[in-house]
Amino acid sequence: MTLAFTTKEPSWDSMMEARFGRAEYVVVYDEQSAGITIHNNADIANQEHGAGPKMAQAMADLKADVIITGNGPGANALAVLEKMGTTIFVGAGELTVSNAYKAYQENRLEKLSSH
Amino acid sequence: MKEIVVISGKGGTGKTSITAALASLAQQSYIVVDCDVDAADMHLLLQPDFAHKEDFYSGQVAKIDEMLCRNCGRCADVCRFDAIDFKEGHYVIDELSCEGCGYCARVCRPSAIEMRERLVGAWYTSKTKYGSDMVHAKLSIGAENSGKLVAKVKKEGKAIALAQHKSLMIVDGSPGIGCPVVSSLSGANFVLLVTEPTLSGLHDLKRVYEVVKRFRIKAGCIINKSDLNATVCAQIEEFLEEEAILHVKNIPYTKAFSHAMIQGQTVSEYTDPELKRLLEESFVTIKQTLGV
Repeated sequence: MTLAFTTKEPSWDSMMEARFGRAEYVVVYDEQSAGITIHNNADIANQEHGAGPKMAQAMADLKADVIITGNGPGANALAVLEKMGTTIFVGAGELTVSNAYKAYQENRLEKLSSH
Repeated sequence: MKEIVVISGKGGTGKTSITAALASLAQQSYIVVDCDVDAADMHLLLQPDFAHKEDFYSGQVAKIDEMLCRNCGRCADVCRFDAIDFKEGHYVIDELSCEGCGYCARVCRPSAIEMRERLVGAWYTSKTKYGSDMVHAKLSIGAENSGKLVAKVKKEGKAIALAQHKSLMIVDGSPGIGCPVVSSLSGANFVLLVTEPTLSGLHDLKRVYEVVKRFRIKAGCIINKSDLNATVCAQIEEFLEEEAILHVKNIPYTKAFSHAMIQGQTVSEYTDPELKRLLEESFVTIKQTLGV
């Protein structure tokens, strides 16, 4: 599984960012290779409008299977992510990335259900 | 630090008056952020000193270099917004009409058109008349609010709140249900919905609550001017109960709102003891819910 975390800093020790589209960074963790890559999200965070849907595109480019974030995407971004079949976990906005990962592993995060 | 965002969906419900009243009750212990940038008016009540100003750039605007321009007019032909005029022998950009799409720059053969960052306004950090910190913004004529600007003022507010160990940040949210509202709500701990017992008040409350619900943020509601229409007021109360929204308070119609505004005072400063009591109780309820 490839996991994408919305974060404030470009590191595994960073705090999570509750915002989805305008998060500063995306920390990507590939469980198979145990590799971490960092996506600097400044371009999308600085969009005047529609940061959310652009972030959904970025998630497709990063090949994220799972997104872990705070409030969760807005209606437009969610529509795209649902079509992509991405799994979204929310409520991790006030954790560190490593604690958010732990919470995900232990099934303590709320899964965003499609409707 | 907890963050309260006040929104209304419908205009004219008393959102800013109530936000400013909460800010005046909170005094120095909290920070205030004005995200209602399209028609920013909280500064009229809180009288910030505009101490620190920074320009804000967002989107793009085309600029024609007259030295390179051959006056072929291709740019004006392709512009969908009628933003390129021929004046005194030159093609010039009408900056108010330019949407920054960049089509003109793309078709310009001598590359005489440059797309520049557009200066849309400025944001400020100030001290209010209560000595509390306030982050707010002002847009230039014709400029529109954006999720980007809202995110910026909220981020600055949060940085000050954390640096000064404030327990609460009070945000005057943006109107409507679009991009700026989504940006206002992002990261909030509590949403205060201010509505009024009219059909559009109820309709817009339901509409904006759909957005709040999506972000799973705890919400409470003040029904302002609650005695104007008993039938609709009951419908609103029913809706709050159905959705498990905290019913914070009913505030009956009072001219104190407009009288206070005319005098540049917040409603809690204005001498109406009954109104002051209702607002103080509302604030206590909200703080208890948040645990601050």
